[in-house]
Amino acid sequence: MTPGVLLLFAASALVAGIVAGPWSSRTWLGLTLMATTTALAAALAVLLGSADWNWSSTFPVGGEVLHFRLDGVSALFLVLLSVVGGAGAAYAHEYWSDAEYPNSALRGRAWWGGLVLSMAFVLLASNGLHFLIGWELFTVCAFFLITLDRQNREVRRAGWLYLAASHAGTVCLFAFFCTLAARTGSWELGPMREQSGLAPLFWLALAGFSVKAGVFPLHIWLPSAHANAPSHVSAILSGVAIKLGIYGLVRFSGWLPVPPAAGWVVLGLGAVSALFGIVFALAQNDLKRLLAYCSVENVGIILIGLGGALLGAAQGDARWGQLALAGALWHVWNHGAFKSLLFFGAGSVLHATGTREMSRLGGLWRTMPWTAGLFAIGAMAVASLPPLNGFISEWLVYLGLFEAAASRGATAWAALPVTIMLAMAGAVALATFTKAATVVFLGAPRTQAAETAHECGPFMRGTMLLMAAICCGVGLAPLLFWPAISRAMGDWHPAWANAAPPAALPVLGSVHLALAILMLAAGAWLWRKVHANGLRRRLTWDCGYAAPAARMQYSGGSFAGIAAGWFFWLLQPERTSRRPRGAMPGHASRIERIPETVLERVIVPVSNVVMRGSTAVRRLQHGRLQAYILYLVVGLIALGIFVLIGGSP
Amino acid sequence: MMAMLEMLLRLALWVLLAPLLPGIINRVKAWVAGRRGPPVLQLYYDLARLWQRGVVLSTLASPGFVVGPAVAWVAVLGAALLLPLGPAGSVFGFPGDVLLMIYLLALARFCTAWAAMETGSAFEGMGAAREVSYAVLTEAAIVAAVLSLSVQTGSVTLVTMLAPGTGAGAVLLAAGLFVVLLAENCRVPFDDPNTHLELTMIHEAMILDHSGPPLAVILHGAALKLLFFAVLLTEAVLPVGRLTSAAAAAVLVGGVLVVTVGVGLVESLLARLAFRRVPLLLTTAFLLCLFALLMAWKGGAA
Repeated sequence: MTPGVLLLFAASALVAGIVAGPWSSRTWLGLTLMATTTALAAALAVLLGSADWNWSSTFPVGGEVLHFRLDGVSALFLVLLSVVGGAGAAYAHEYWSDAEYPNSALRGRAWWGGLVLSMAFVLLASNGLHFLIGWELFTVCAFFLITLDRQNREVRRAGWLYLAASHAGTVCLFAFFCTLAARTGSWELGPMREQSGLAPLFWLALAGFSVKAGVFPLHIWLPSAHANAPSHVSAILSGVAIKLGIYGLVRFSGWLPVPPAAGWVVLGLGAVSALFGIVFALAQNDLKRLLAYCSVENVGIILIGLGGALLGAAQGDARWGQLALAGALWHVWNHGAFKSLLFFGAGSVLHATGTREMSRLGGLWRTMPWTAGLFAIGAMAVASLPPLNGFISEWLVYLGLFEAAASRGATAWAALPVTIMLAMAGAVALATFTKAATVVFLGAPRTQAAETAHECGPFMRGTMLLMAAICCGVGLAPLLFWPAISRAMGDWHPAWANAAPPAALPVLGSVHLALAILMLAAGAWLWRKVHANGLRRRLTWDCGYAAPAARMQYSGGSFAGIAAGWFFWLLQPERTSRRPRGAMPGHASRIERIPETVLERVIVPVSNVVMRGSTAVRRLQHGRLQAYILYLVVGLIALGIFVLIGGSP
Repeated sequence: MMAMLEMLLRLALWVLLAPLLPGIINRVKAWVAGRRGPPVLQLYYDLARLWQRGVVLSTLASPGFVVGPAVAWVAVLGAALLLPLGPAGSVFGFPGDVLLMIYLLALARFCTAWAAMETGSAFEGMGAAREVSYAVLTEAAIVAAVLSLSVQTGSVTLVTMLAPGTGAGAVLLAAGLFVVLLAENCRVPFDDPNTHLELTMIHEAMILDHSGPPLAVILHGAALKLLFFAVLLTEAVLPVGRLTSAAAAAVLVGGVLVVTVGVGLVESLLARLAFRRVPLLLTTAFLLCLFALLMAWKGGAA
């Protein structure tokens, strides 16, 4: 079967799912899974086969003929969309069930189908107008999914912020596509690398797509939307939706010529996003906000790779550019896998305890062993520790940067600081996820809710297992996935088509496999030895303290305190404390909140000034006709004087 | 077959020699203080004894408390096996293995911190927090050092990278890496392995609740890491790879001994830093490595 037939089938199954969704969750799940599996098959057929799928009809939509195209780049993102779209549906079947959310579950199913459909439409559209229509549809579907639980005030605020920020980005995209259509005389999209006059349009695309991708400092909508959305929605937002911003950048930096400075700017933005994003993540107390800020970091890593690729392509197709691009594209997949795993895990915790605040959790491994173990795998993958998938893509990005530095070309000036920033971001990521995983799952339960938590059911567990299996699989057998990455690279830059895998990749894969086996063996051996030697369970020794309490444990805030303290200039924490006073101190407290610095310290004050200005100007409009006539007369007289003293109107 | 045999030989070498270093350090400290001190082989006796002992586990601890140290040990051993040994090269060197080495050390750190957080004790949380936080600065220093070697040799493979330059660059790199060694191995002035004040420690605070075989694995892993850094430092500064086998072996042993005695002397002559000063010293280490990087950069252009 050709990809076209498969995609048509997938689309009809999704539409049927949207129609049938409100009545039966099972039917909806079955149809959605069928749709995502066939879409996955279509995408893989293109990635692993040879020819692009190109289809245009004579049938106009909005005055333009429908034109779909599935090439390596879009197929790469379609694979991600199918996997996370299907897994998220299975997760939602249990997580946002009819029994618990009788009203919103129905809506949720319909909007989920709409979201997957509209994102696939964006990926396939090969016409500027249809791209914009799909983009808008997908933004709106995501808005309704974020605000599923709309009784909650926080959720509504997060939804509005998302909608406003997304549209600010869409304005740039409107400008981008309209100018592109005006310059080329057609809405049709496709490779036009020779028309060097189009290069400045890249800046518009960068601004528009960066908002969606959550690049620092345009990420303001991202933390609250991800934290307040239902967890399966957070997973697809973080795993796929922000990747569509990356898709736009990859797509149009590949199809259109780019200005010479593009690579430098993208590289710089990536480095800043990576380091600042993860520093904000470290300081969070809300588990899902932490994961959201970590998405800012990972988008930064992807942009570092893309920036390296742009520079490499501009400087004689250097090999390091190829490595960086491979790392960037691969990280799109890897981040999608481990971040959905982590959001599913966070959802499972939220479902079991009713809170996302880490300071109220703890000791969950006892009641939720599956979630704890799988979250730990996700945490190791996101900290890009070997032998998991995160390391493979970050290794490729590093390798590109190192080779760029070693080549001593002009790029090395950028590659050196970016490499050091990436290394620091990696170390902060390790601290962040050590904190997230251990404070939530280890130690003693800090509240009653954490003590009486329960493990999630088979659907939620199954999706987490699938995602963890992908994380391990990519890490242990990276060579299997190379052909797909290489296909996408060829579509981005024809000179890099059919790139051979870096010679070290197979070696790295086998080293990973050996390490994994050794680690499992060593762990099992020590476990048996401990049991053979005799094992007693006692209270934590804690240097002899006899009555430890759960609240005496090290909290997440203290854990992050040292490193977060180095970045106080960026985080600007708000502290209110009441110190204990006198010989018999009464109530004392210390509350620390990390604001969304860019939003609260920059955007809100600036928009307040704008609002105040416009309110002042609004006083001129009051509905009194005499005054309006006076404005006209004054205006005419002013014009007259202007002409009289010699100005030309 | 030969490769397999060579690998096992190297493995045995790393595993068997590592516990010697803490013994030498303690001997140096005793000598400076005018004491007799424990035997050089003390750690071997301790490990053998701990391996036979029973284990007391915290009621809160999950299986990760035991598995974590084992995984960390394998990770450090893996990083050590990646290091080339002079002219013998490395067993499975590949472009980019230096990054795997750095991230294996990070994996070890994750597992140790994980195991520390298992017990719900504030002391161990404190130790883990310090460990992962200071690592942010040491990681920057290590990557700057590695970049300087990479820029100098135009390579990203450990075997070819560890062909050091001479002059000021090498001195700066040695100084930077020595500070990193002290920090990564939790020695004075960052941490005091002998102290009994739990509040002031990093590594020792993380392992307060470990006993028996897991403690043996942790102690051995710590010794292994020290040996790893001593060898790395020696090879990053001295051109060990270009010597004949016998000379290289002598230089490696000599270099490791000098580093070990240096650690012992630092430990005898310096006091532990206040915690708020630690980042300053680590930043200094980073700057030293950064200047080494700039020297490497300039050296190539000339």
